[in-house]
Amino acid sequence: MEPAVHTSGLGRVYKRGRKDPVVALDDLTLTIERNEIHGLLGPNGAGKTTLVKILSTVLLPSEGSARVLGHDVAAETRAVRSLVGLVLGGDRGLYDRLSARRNLLFWGALYKLDARTTRDRADALLERVGLAERADDRVERFSRGMRQRLHLARGLLHEPRVLFLDEPTSGLDPVAAGAFRRLVLDLRAEGRTFLLATHDMDEATALCDRVTLIDRGRMLLTGDTGQAGRFLGDRECVDFTHPDPALADALALLPDVTDVERQDGTAWRAHTPDRGATRRVLGWLLDRDVLTARRGEPTLEEVYLRTVGDRGMRV
Amino acid sequence: MSTVRVMWQAVLLQLALSRRNPEHALILLIAPMQTTTMLALTVTAHRPDVVANAVLAPGLIGLWVAALDYAGRIVPEDRWAGRLTSMIAAPAALGPVVAGRVAMVVLVGAAAFAESWTVAALGFGRVVTVADPALFVVAVAVTCFATVGTATLLSAVLVVSRARDVLQNSLGYPFYILGGILVPVAALPGWLHPFSRVVFLSWSAELLRDAVHGDAHGWPGSAGAVLGLGAASMAAGLWLTRHYVNRSRREGTVGFA
Repeated sequence: MEPAVHTSGLGRVYKRGRKDPVVALDDLTLTIERNEIHGLLGPNGAGKTTLVKILSTVLLPSEGSARVLGHDVAAETRAVRSLVGLVLGGDRGLYDRLSARRNLLFWGALYKLDARTTRDRADALLERVGLAERADDRVERFSRGMRQRLHLARGLLHEPRVLFLDEPTSGLDPVAAGAFRRLVLDLRAEGRTFLLATHDMDEATALCDRVTLIDRGRMLLTGDTGQAGRFLGDRECVDFTHPDPALADALALLPDVTDVERQDGTAWRAHTPDRGATRRVLGWLLDRDVLTARRGEPTLEEVYLRTVGDRGMRV
Repeated sequence: MSTVRVMWQAVLLQLALSRRNPEHALILLIAPMQTTTMLALTVTAHRPDVVANAVLAPGLIGLWVAALDYAGRIVPEDRWAGRLTSMIAAPAALGPVVAGRVAMVVLVGAAAFAESWTVAALGFGRVVTVADPALFVVAVAVTCFATVGTATLLSAVLVVSRARDVLQNSLGYPFYILGGILVPVAALPGWLHPFSRVVFLSWSAELLRDAVHGDAHGWPGSAGAVLGLGAASMAAGLWLTRHYVNRSRREGTVGFA
């Protein structure tokens, strides 16, 4: 069975007149299996949106190929468009002066749905995303979270099998973001596949089966989200709590410790090169009456920061 | 069939947008003033024979201005508002959306005909009678169709052009002249006639004047010319819109980063 998404040597170059061209994607080979939620991580300008646009047929690749459910995105545009849904983040992208329902009715026609089907699905989706009571209100009166839910409803109108979400919870408050994520999990349970481009590591950790980290258009790593720590090699860590910073300073001097960082208040994390070192560090800490100590693995956020964290605000 | 439905939904979309924000209906404020100016000229010049021209001209100008003004804005506004990306990601073509939205605006512009008639009757006591009402209805209908077709082409041309505003501002008066709106084509220098004949407005203006004067001779040819030019413009507009979309996908300019 064809995977949901497969790219092979995918590249995209933006020409800029006399200036040097910008390489937005470079030789990207990626497979996303059906019914998977795949996180696409990377800093601003990494190429996440470029990949989403190519896969949703809005942008043509400069080299390589991309297939969605077996259909080439450049050669079989029409087939791909009916199979995928694109959900862009942000306040824009809707007819603000029109109602949520009116917006959906228009987009239903663009997806070639008949009038009755569009009406029925619009009503059902507005109910599902919690906008039924505001269906006839102008979108300009909606909060960002409500707009985002309407974007998702629009992306689902033609019942796509693969959804591309580009920073869908950007700017949402934690409650709205949580509700959005639950909705995504519900939709996955119906058999849909998701590619989620995001900066939010908590979101990626909570939602994604696998993640791919890209930067400057190149893939840096890809794998299971639950084993994100392995992206950093054998690197292990020990989390402990102790009120005295002097203990952390002393720990940092041990040959088994590569570095110690403060997490929060009295919480610390010591990084070790291997499991044996972890065992010795745990013993050392227990001998000094730490409040708690346990073996841990680097979080996805740590992996992200250590992989691309040297860029600061550069794009 | 789905293309017709896309156009129809675009008409309904534009109707809803126009109800919320009827800025393009401003032409309906301008048309009575144009009628007043033109009728005042004909009255002071003691030319009752051209009163019908003075009443028809603001109607045709209303159609043209409504179409030209709005046609150039639809795609850029959708692009600025971040809607174009989602529209292009959908299976339907963009051209019928533009055509449907322009059609709604053209219908609003067509109300300028009724306005100029009213101004002539109430303001100047000149009731312009239509000798052949059936032909008049046909003339208005084919003119509206051709205006939609031409506006679809202009929309694509203006979007593709890098000098949209300049082009848009300069496409008014030359077409009033070439279209025989202000003065009949027969009154223009002979070398302009071939250019006039490829502008549907020149055939429309003649057809409308013939309907008012009851001279139905040769109307099928005129109506056919209006329809043919309108259909050709529509086809070219749909093709050029598709070309624009494909170019944008190639160059990465569908939306703003």
